[in-house]
Amino acid sequence: MLYSDIGKPIKKVDNDIKLSGKAKYAADYNISEMLYARTVRSSCSRGRIKSIKIPALPEEYFVITAADVPGKNRIKFLTDDWPFLAEDKINYYGEAILLLVGADRALLKKLADEVKIVYEEIPAIFTIEEALNNVKKPIYGTDNKFADYKYEKGDVKTAFAKAATIVEEKYSTGYQKQAYLENQSMIAVPGKAGKITIYGSMQCPYYVKNALIQAIGIDSSKIQVVQTVTGGAFGGKEDYPSLLAGHAAFAALKTQKPVAIFYDREEDTAYTPRRHPAEIIFKTALDGENNILGVKADVKLDGGAYAGISEVVLQRSIYNICGVYSIANLQITGAVIATNTVPNGAFRGFGAPQSIFAIEMHMESLARKAGVSAIDYKMRYMAKQGDTTATDGVFYDEIKLPEMLAKVDQISDYSKKKKMYGEQPQFHKGIGISLFLHGCGFTGSGEQDIIKAKLKLCKKKNSQRVEIFAANVDMGQGLQTTFRKIAAKALAIPLENIDFPYPDTDKVPDSGPTVASRSIMIVGRLLQKAAEKLKQRWHEDNDIEIIQDYEAPARIKWDGGKSLGDAYPAYAWGVNVVETKVDPLTYEVTVTGIWTVFDVGQPIDERIIEGQIQGGVVQGLGYAGMEVMTNDSKGHSRQNNLTNYTIPTAMDFASIKNCLVESSYEDGPYGAKGAGELTLLGAAPAYAAAVGQAMRIHIDRLPITAEYILDEVIKHG
Amino acid sequence: MADISFILNGKNVTIDADATKRLLDVLREDMGFTGPKEGCGEGECGACSVLMDHELVSSCLVPVGNAAGHEIITIEGFSEEKRYEKLANAFAEAGAVQCGFCTPGMILAAEALLNKIPHPTEMQIRQAISGNLCRCTGYNMIIEAIQMAADTGDGLW
Amino acid sequence: MVKSFMPKTLAEALKICDEHDVCPIAGGTDLMVRNHQSAGILPTFTKDMLFIKNIDELTVLEKKDMHLIIGANITLNRLLNWENTPQILHLALQEMAAPAIRNMGTIAGNICNASPAGDTLPPLYALDAIVCLKSIAGERELPIREFILGPGKTALKENELLTAIKIPIGDNNINFYKKAAMRKAAAISKVSIAMTAKKEKDKIVNIAIAIGAVGPTVVRLAEAEDMFIKNNENTGKVLPDIYDVYDRQIKPIDDIRSTAKYRKQVAMNLLHYVYEKCIK
Repeated sequence: MLYSDIGKPIKKVDNDIKLSGKAKYAADYNISEMLYARTVRSSCSRGRIKSIKIPALPEEYFVITAADVPGKNRIKFLTDDWPFLAEDKINYYGEAILLLVGADRALLKKLADEVKIVYEEIPAIFTIEEALNNVKKPIYGTDNKFADYKYEKGDVKTAFAKAATIVEEKYSTGYQKQAYLENQSMIAVPGKAGKITIYGSMQCPYYVKNALIQAIGIDSSKIQVVQTVTGGAFGGKEDYPSLLAGHAAFAALKTQKPVAIFYDREEDTAYTPRRHPAEIIFKTALDGENNILGVKADVKLDGGAYAGISEVVLQRSIYNICGVYSIANLQITGAVIATNTVPNGAFRGFGAPQSIFAIEMHMESLARKAGVSAIDYKMRYMAKQGDTTATDGVFYDEIKLPEMLAKVDQISDYSKKKKMYGEQPQFHKGIGISLFLHGCGFTGSGEQDIIKAKLKLCKKKNSQRVEIFAANVDMGQGLQTTFRKIAAKALAIPLENIDFPYPDTDKVPDSGPTVASRSIMIVGRLLQKAAEKLKQRWHEDNDIEIIQDYEAPARIKWDGGKSLGDAYPAYAWGVNVVETKVDPLTYEVTVTGIWTVFDVGQPIDERIIEGQIQGGVVQGLGYAGMEVMTNDSKGHSRQNNLTNYTIPTAMDFASIKNCLVESSYEDGPYGAKGAGELTLLGAAPAYAAAVGQAMRIHIDRLPITAEYILDEVIKHG
Repeated sequence: MADISFILNGKNVTIDADATKRLLDVLREDMGFTGPKEGCGEGECGACSVLMDHELVSSCLVPVGNAAGHEIITIEGFSEEKRYEKLANAFAEAGAVQCGFCTPGMILAAEALLNKIPHPTEMQIRQAISGNLCRCTGYNMIIEAIQMAADTGDGLW
Repeated sequence: MVKSFMPKTLAEALKICDEHDVCPIAGGTDLMVRNHQSAGILPTFTKDMLFIKNIDELTVLEKKDMHLIIGANITLNRLLNWENTPQILHLALQEMAAPAIRNMGTIAGNICNASPAGDTLPPLYALDAIVCLKSIAGERELPIREFILGPGKTALKENELLTAIKIPIGDNNINFYKKAAMRKAAAISKVSIAMTAKKEKDKIVNIAIAIGAVGPTVVRLAEAEDMFIKNNENTGKVLPDIYDVYDRQIKPIDDIRSTAKYRKQVAMNLLHYVYEKCIK
């Protein structure tokens, strides 16, 4: 099949193996002599291990402790503070202390239950407030801040000096669990001469590889990482697989047998990273006509017990704190706070959902104060091409928000309904709109300074087949199909002639992690360039290998030290409308309509993009209304299964009516931008605005539970 | 341990197993099937769905003793059927497959529904798959796929 | 490892009950969840298990004399599709769990599980359901409210089996069921209410209201219902007193799923709705 129109949907290449049940996820691997590892975890939230008593182990059963980590017992992140296995210090309930390894899982469970660990407890810190009030001994540094950022734009001092009023508001958001259907799973297989091969469910094969090089203290050639079919990830398999692969590898090294670790739902839900809870404060200076003069914002993220990748999450939170609005005078501060809870990590949107919710609700509130409709107020500040971003970079490309707003109004009847529901409080109906953007690719100069992506294309002599060598994974988002489409179009050859095996670090170069809405826009672009080069050389009568390196677009300027400049090479945009009806007896929310318009550049496959939108919006609605996760008095989550941590079912939301606007980004493959994360961002604020109108309340937190609505209804009389 | 006999994908099987063992473990570990998957182990997600006497059940909640004398069909068995082909094509056409972990269970939930109601309404489809969680698709494309299979599957169900 | 008994007849099963300390298992949808372990590990049952699913005598489903008889093996789904299922129970079953669970789970299991949030319990309380208990020594019947003693606690004796549920056949013509939960399917109730009433010539002559998940057992207050029926000429006058009765006796708790405050408020809202709007 040849493509003149790359957006036209095709059948996904992995449909058949997934539909028929033949696809092999990690837990489907049947490796002979494979042992299992069971993790023994801390039942203390903070303290020191005084003693560990391990029951007598039968033959061929093993214990793995921090002493068995051959290299550095720290997971390789920006800050290497998170141990694979606790040494003597415990920082959260559920922290991994040791592994028991053997063949019989029931026996392992019994042995694990018999391990006796005595702790010397230290008063633990569970909240941001406690972490900052300096009463208890800090968990990290002297101030409990894993990262602390500040940046300014314009003249915020003068703006506040001139203010007629200053509006201060606080917004807060809770945890969200990725809840991929396939739990974290990893297998390590020992090979010859100390080599370790990892098979597992993951987003970033090279993160895993690099983590193991450091943890085992071994040459790069001795670590091979192979991604298995991955049953959803959503960010949850960005960071944690490095830890899990470490556990499996230490066990495999010690036992010299293949070792598998397959978390069950409870273990996965309770002890793997989630979306950071956030507390966001706006102080906005208004003139006499309620126009914005300047904004001060402060973002605090609950990082949990170890730094992990939280600093990068914070960057995205604070650089997107103004949403789609161009504000002249800004002073932004942000910090990631250490608490004695499970370390938080990546989740689709990566710090942006918290900020987009907060700024959208703040704008709603300012509009009410100004006595104008939310949409009119928002339109006053909506960025246009050439305007400056929050970090004083430039919106280089056309911004199609006016067209998108017109479109969404046309398909949803938003304006008319907004007015009508305003006049009919007795029906408890409401409609809300959100405007949002997502910076595609890594924040700041990450692509050119840290990732330095590389992609390889090969064609063998006398073959018509082309193989893509890239480290980016398909985790459900369709990369197996979209990468092949890009290559097939550039080469003008049939898709069936393109091979793109699941990444194996022994074969593929490091094209970077599968994160940050970068796979299509950044790596897909490398693929297109490589394929175009290969096409030029197609006639050559020898093996051809094309290596394509990342080159930053010339227009991008970034000063990381000051957080100033172009934080992202390009932006994708969205407008969402959500309509709700609230039951006045039970305060339960029913979503009666969802309309979305997106600008993701040129879709590489319209149906795959539609799937990203449908799935992302529903995840966003789950975040908005039903996904509650709270901690008990030991910082241990109370919702540890899919019965108590409730994600949306097929019964929960109305169908989504979606439109794309025509758009093209010059540095993306065939004009494509990132799309995966964007789709989650707008649902929560639109839902919140709708519920707010239905019940005549102002929503300032997520998730919006029926209990919270009741509290607000009582408060507002 | 006891001999437990049942019909699995059309064949008589007898296994020597503890009657409390989960049917899911029997299928995956003793029989080597990969279609039924464990997503939660609590009957909440539907990834382990199989058909028992043509009704949808969560194999993680079926002690194999309860399967004795009954007929079990997994996706491996169902994929031999024409009705599977119809559903599989519709799932592909509608873009209903993302990570694939819920997919075999969804197909079996659709089969159980269409067996009873060959031309379901959207609400009946939503109810029929309400115990099969999907975190990728937001369900609408799956619902569309089932509708599509029903619309074009005249006579099969 | 526990022993599993797989009797073919009720007589055999009762004999096993008499001779061994066993836990009966029918569909398994509660027991397999409560005792589940990760993949490859047997559920952690602490008693020998008595499989009753294949006992035909427990699969009765019939109208007999003035009762509906529902055998212990009748699944929730079978009941959902039975033409004689009382409407108030049907309403609850429709919203209960999800199809795969309803295909295995039984109403008898829902009763024996005795969760305050059990979905079939408010309708069964409102319908004055009776449980039939058999042992080798004989049989007895108990109203459901006497059978369920508290969360997870029932009056079932060690040598007894719950063999069937009997529901008196009524001719109520107004039914209302509402369940508040975190989502619209596969959800555990935060509060639920089941009301069944009979209206004759514009007057309510019979009313039963049961509220779930607001106390250790389902709350049904005959005192309030009687006040209403006795004053059915002028209910407006007694409604404040009726609400007062509920207000005093509904004492919910905070738990993982909701708050006491929410449960109380929603229960009272629903009671107002039921007494003032629903039966108008």
